[in-house]
Amino acid sequence: MSEWLTWLAAPLSSDHLFMWRAVLMCGLLGVSASLLGCVLVVRRLSLMGDALAHSLLPGIGVAWLVCGTSVTALLAGGVVAGLMTALASALISRLTRLKEDAAFAALFITLFAAGVVLVSRLGTPIDLMHFLFGNILGLGDDDLALAAGVSTATVTVFALFYRSILLECFDPAFHRASGGWSAATHLGLLALTVLNLVAALHALGSVLAIGLFMLPAVSANLWCDRWGRMLAWAASYAVVGSIVGLYISYQAHLASGPCMVAVLGGGFLISSLISPSHGLMRRWRRSTVHHREGTAERCAQPGGPEAGL
Amino acid sequence: MSPAIVHFDDVTVCYGRRPAIHHLTASWPAGSMVALMGPNGAGKSTLLRALLGWQPLATGRITIAGSPVADARPRIGYLPQRTLVDWDFPVSVRTVVEMGRFPRRGAFHAFTAADSQAVDAALDEMGLTQVQDRQLAVLSGGQQQRTLLARTLSSGADIVLLDEPFVGLDPASVADLIHRLRTWAGQGRLVVAALHDIALARRCFDQALLIRTHLIAAGPIAEALDDHHLAEAYGSDYATPHAASAAEGALHDHGDH
Repeated sequence: MSEWLTWLAAPLSSDHLFMWRAVLMCGLLGVSASLLGCVLVVRRLSLMGDALAHSLLPGIGVAWLVCGTSVTALLAGGVVAGLMTALASALISRLTRLKEDAAFAALFITLFAAGVVLVSRLGTPIDLMHFLFGNILGLGDDDLALAAGVSTATVTVFALFYRSILLECFDPAFHRASGGWSAATHLGLLALTVLNLVAALHALGSVLAIGLFMLPAVSANLWCDRWGRMLAWAASYAVVGSIVGLYISYQAHLASGPCMVAVLGGGFLISSLISPSHGLMRRWRRSTVHHREGTAERCAQPGGPEAGL
Repeated sequence: MSPAIVHFDDVTVCYGRRPAIHHLTASWPAGSMVALMGPNGAGKSTLLRALLGWQPLATGRITIAGSPVADARPRIGYLPQRTLVDWDFPVSVRTVVEMGRFPRRGAFHAFTAADSQAVDAALDEMGLTQVQDRQLAVLSGGQQQRTLLARTLSSGADIVLLDEPFVGLDPASVADLIHRLRTWAGQGRLVVAALHDIALARRCFDQALLIRTHLIAAGPIAEALDDHHLAEAYGSDYATPHAASAAEGALHDHGDH
């Protein structure tokens, strides 16, 4: 028991401020990134989120070259790059025969390559590694301040506009037909996604950042049949999984960011196997499930329409 | 509430510079079942989009009981095509029906007892009370369609627009859905469905609006869907009785699968 406590406490000793910062980052961004991951998953925008993360690189790269590690500049560079990718792909898909996903794929890989060229020409190989895979043990106070702001904003928006977000994710046509702010909700969620990606960049880099968004969300989708539960499950799993990954990387001397994402991914693989209602195990239990659904079907026959409204 | 009468007056809708609907004038009376028909690309969806206020009008105006559409939005209930709904989405039947009350409560206000009663009544009328806590994917096609109907019911809409509501339903579910829609029309609602099945329209609907970018025929179903009008909408092959019955048979078979 006391060995476990020592193991747990060792990385968080008072001279390990970098670990405190890393754990705090996992807590802050784990919650907000996984909420947005849930939106991306149910709206079938998972690959677009990935593409968006990659395309931020040149914007961040230019900002870093011009202004150094100023958080405001990095944020501005990332937001500009993200917006330009989204706008340019929308324009290309409207003005040429290409569909939007094809335009997005072509643009993001072009921008990603340009970003890598830029950073590798003007920085060191270490800089490039940090841009691609992050440096969660080298976070500064301004990184945490940005993450805290973005995370608070995201959680607040989800709490205040829970109904609008649910409607927009489930049935945008109905949302729009009933007078909701469908377009504003959609754009707002995309903007929050870009902000969270930028905030996660220093920690996880443009290649790994999307792992903190998608892996908790797809795992939660395998376990939960209610939207609210899926959000809560994803947020909890993101925080716990990323901190476990961080601990393992510390104790086993492994690269931190990849270790965190690998742990989250391991949980996803296990979920896809053992989730009772939506995992691969379901196939083995198919006959019993079908039997149960058949029974429910017979119980639910309409008793005939009744008047009186 | 004044009767749910929709009136189109000289309506033209354009995509870019290409008109999708030309100078259409027609009325849909309250308490009727209207079949909105025409070949692919005839402008059926465009007309529904215009009525929902999603598509600006190049000419003319659309009124609901004499008022502009924008003022009567809560009266319109819209059911998207079945294939456009993500039935795997993590929500219960009851939550979907509750969505019908969201527009009334806005983003922040809590549900009242009246809201819960409206949701309970809608679930009950659609025979979904026993499956209200289930996720949508485990329901039958008919139950899924009734879930969307119950959402419309809980919203209090009295103008119901359905886009291809019968596609992918088995014959028993089609019959059940028709029966429920007819009940609604009998209660004074206006039910409008975009559909392709001419035989089904003739059998179960009162009114038709037949279009092919312009108005071909509007009015009582038998007159609006006579051979002459159908030939004008779908091409001259359709006019010969043999081809017509063969095509109807094919459509009917298609609907059964």
